[in-house]
Amino acid sequence: MKKAIKVGVLALLFAFLLASALLMHEFGKPAQTEMDNYFIARGQEETGSNNIVAAVVFDYRGLDTMGEAAVLFAAATGVFLVFRGRKKDE
Amino acid sequence: MIFEVVQGVLLLGIVATAFKALNNKDLLVGTIFLAAMSLLLSAEFYLLQAPDVAIAEAAIGAGLSTAIFVMAIKKTKRWEDEKGN
Amino acid sequence: MNKGMAPRESEGMTPIIKTVALALAVPITVFGLYIIAHGHLTPGGGFPGGAVIATLVALFLIAFGKDIGARALNKKMFSGLETVGLVGFALLAFLGLGSSFFNNFLANSPGLFGMAIPFGPNPGFMWTAGTIPLMNLAIGLEVFAALSLIIILFFTEGEDK
Repeated sequence: MKKAIKVGVLALLFAFLLASALLMHEFGKPAQTEMDNYFIARGQEETGSNNIVAAVVFDYRGLDTMGEAAVLFAAATGVFLVFRGRKKDE
Repeated sequence: MIFEVVQGVLLLGIVATAFKALNNKDLLVGTIFLAAMSLLLSAEFYLLQAPDVAIAEAAIGAGLSTAIFVMAIKKTKRWEDEKGN
Repeated sequence: MNKGMAPRESEGMTPIIKTVALALAVPITVFGLYIIAHGHLTPGGGFPGGAVIATLVALFLIAFGKDIGARALNKKMFSGLETVGLVGFALLAFLGLGSSFFNNFLANSPGLFGMAIPFGPNPGFMWTAGTIPLMNLAIGLEVFAALSLIIILFFTEGEDK
């Protein structure tokens, strides 16, 4: 019974993955292109950056990057907090 | 043609190394296979024209997380037991 | 683990590994700084560059062991560097508040990193892109310090089994 459930869930997952792989658009041809075209056409002159990815990450979508950095900061603070106050002889 | 062949080899390598990393009683060996998987994944990212992600994956996946995993294994234990924990 | 003939763990590893670690220190640092500094021209940027430099900390800790590593690498200093990086990033974002948050106020202006570039393929000029290189630097500092702090704490605290 348990095994049947496992196999069923795996088959369902496989079917979903297969369907999404078959429905996937061609490489390099996304469905929505307005935003990409804007970045490619205007990004270089607006930000002066040759690397459009850097322009998006640090300028157009800077808030996301700040959140990402804050997550890393919180992780380091958490590790610091966990290991704090432990004596050698405990 | 050559693009598809290289990509197929890389994807098969990713699946094989991921399977070996999961299906291994020695956690240290599993960590090394995980690092190999990260390296192949970064090559795959590079082939799919995402060099930014490839560099980040190579630095963090293959370099740093391996070191952190090895340190964690050193503090806990190296071998999985029969019950799988 | 089998200790065998290896030296005691707190003293680090063999002189060969120590020498190689010292020899690799400069190339790794320069490569990481290159990735950070050229973030607006080539693939890379603050995150991968900081991670590359942080691997040097891991290499040093493993090569030289707990005793020297814990003494040479100050946790408080890394915590401070992390704070400086994140606060600097936020400040750079707030400085553009004249028009909007994260406004690139330095780009295409006669100032620091303000050089205007010709549209299309070009060889890449260092003094371009406004706040992006400065933000790359801040993020690189933050990521380097945070990952180093995590690695140092993982390595030095707790007991080995």
